[in-house]
Amino acid sequence: IQAAWNLKTRALTEMVYVDEIDMDQEGIAEMILDENAIAQVARPGTSLKLPGTSQGGGPSPAVRPVTQSGRPITGFVRPSTQSGRPSTMEQAIRTPRTALTARPITSASGGYVRLGTASMLTNPDGPFINLSRLNLTKYAQKPKLAKALFEYIFHHENDVKNALDLAALATEHAQFKDWWWKVQIGKCYYRLGLYREAEKQFKSALKQQDMVDTILYLAKVYLRLDQPVTALNLFKQGLERFPGEVTLICGIARIYEEMNNISSAAEYYKDVLKQDNTHVEAIACIGSNHFYSDQPEIALRFYRRLLQMGVYNCQLFNNLGLCCFYAQQYDMTLSSFERALFLAENEEETADVWYNLGHVAVGIGDLNLAYQCFKLTLVNNNDYAEAYNNLAVLEMRKGHTEQARALLQTASSLAPHMYEPHFNVAILSEKLGDLQRSYTAAQKSEEAFPGHVDTQQLLKQLKEHFAML
Amino acid sequence: MPEGTGALREVLPKQGTGGGHRPALPAQPAARSRPFSPFAGQLSVEDTAAMVLCKPKILPLKSVSLEKLEKLQRAALEAAQPPEEAPPPSAGAAPPRQ
Repeated sequence: IQAAWNLKTRALTEMVYVDEIDMDQEGIAEMILDENAIAQVARPGTSLKLPGTSQGGGPSPAVRPVTQSGRPITGFVRPSTQSGRPSTMEQAIRTPRTALTARPITSASGGYVRLGTASMLTNPDGPFINLSRLNLTKYAQKPKLAKALFEYIFHHENDVKNALDLAALATEHAQFKDWWWKVQIGKCYYRLGLYREAEKQFKSALKQQDMVDTILYLAKVYLRLDQPVTALNLFKQGLERFPGEVTLICGIARIYEEMNNISSAAEYYKDVLKQDNTHVEAIACIGSNHFYSDQPEIALRFYRRLLQMGVYNCQLFNNLGLCCFYAQQYDMTLSSFERALFLAENEEETADVWYNLGHVAVGIGDLNLAYQCFKLTLVNNNDYAEAYNNLAVLEMRKGHTEQARALLQTASSLAPHMYEPHFNVAILSEKLGDLQRSYTAAQKSEEAFPGHVDTQQLLKQLKEHFAML
Repeated sequence: MPEGTGALREVLPKQGTGGGHRPALPAQPAARSRPFSPFAGQLSVEDTAAMVLCKPKILPLKSVSLEKLEKLQRAALEAAQPPEEAPPPSAGAAPPRQ
């Protein structure tokens, strides 16, 4: 009967198991009330919070869309991809954080509780294992049962405290010689936010038994503590002991990407591909880098490879369509976009595809079609700032100044980190003679993208004008 | 192509060896008398900044973990709705037993 119990426990865990290495939803409370920062103002290039100077080169915001924190959008998104550490509470609330809905989660444990209660609901007779009546000490002494039970409590019930108790008892029982329990305790501490204790546990587990997984968990802890350089060193040391290990190389590449060092990230992703040329993340990231570096044909080759591997979703077909269009393979473009629309699972994806179709329409000169596409984007997603901006540009071409201005205002309030709406407001106001508004808008545009030559020229012109008055 | 050169030989005037000194552009006889200036007729050059479009968006692909997470969250949302329908039938079944 023990075997059956064991099997059922493990089966239930497997149902909701999400690899802890990837799983990393950081709630707002954790971001804002973070007390783990070591230095008040980190030196550039040593912190994940500041995108820092773009040391690694790569396409500027003039060519590549940026997210809220100023980082360029990546080719691949994981549960732990930080779409940015917001500086104000207001921005934090606006940032979409959940995987599914756009509403931000206030605290990470809240999300886990929801997943845990989900398991309760799927089991109509009540929970399979009643935790409050469980005698943890008894189970701690049976290592095989204890391990299955721990995973069940941790993943299925999401009850970190009980899991921690069990793990602590089991470790004592194993006389601190079992590396597996140390790693589990470390995971519990990580969930609870006790990062330094987690670090200790993982380090001690590593000393006992060198495992790639432990290295990955420890790196996660360092990243939460905003110590990317330490994490990088850890990975590099790990590579000496596990040469060619894809997960470690991939980890290095991800950190470089987070630090906005795109060229190093690209180099490491290429290393990943040398080891494992079916690695979806690496292919997607390199593909998007090539697209934004003005090499759509190469990007097309990478995305075709993904298609060969059986990846079949809306995003891939959208990207294929874009690459085909810019690589001048016009026969494939529209059918790819059609497939993308068909595969879209929710309205946000549909909006993205219509937005890109709008770009294609602008490219072929059919401005009516472009207008309709951007309107469809807004129908599917009312908060699509880029679509508002592009609609405003089209309206200006038709001469509807007031509508253009209203659209630009919406765009700039929805996405203050983008320089395009601000720049366009500046141009528009200057044409109409409203120089004060033009100046303030140009300044905002410069703040968002300091390297934009046209903004600087405009500012210079305006300053000369004001100096004459 | 021998035929081609033959046809040309008929069309072109027989020049002989002294014809090499002829001007290379017989089609533009007035080339020297009227110099071509691309800027004549242009009064001023103005570099107005044009409005700028937002860039096309390459959509990031989702990882397997992310997709599983989304699936779980969706299942949780749906599971949260049926339990509202479940209690009434059980409440209806209880009284007749008594």
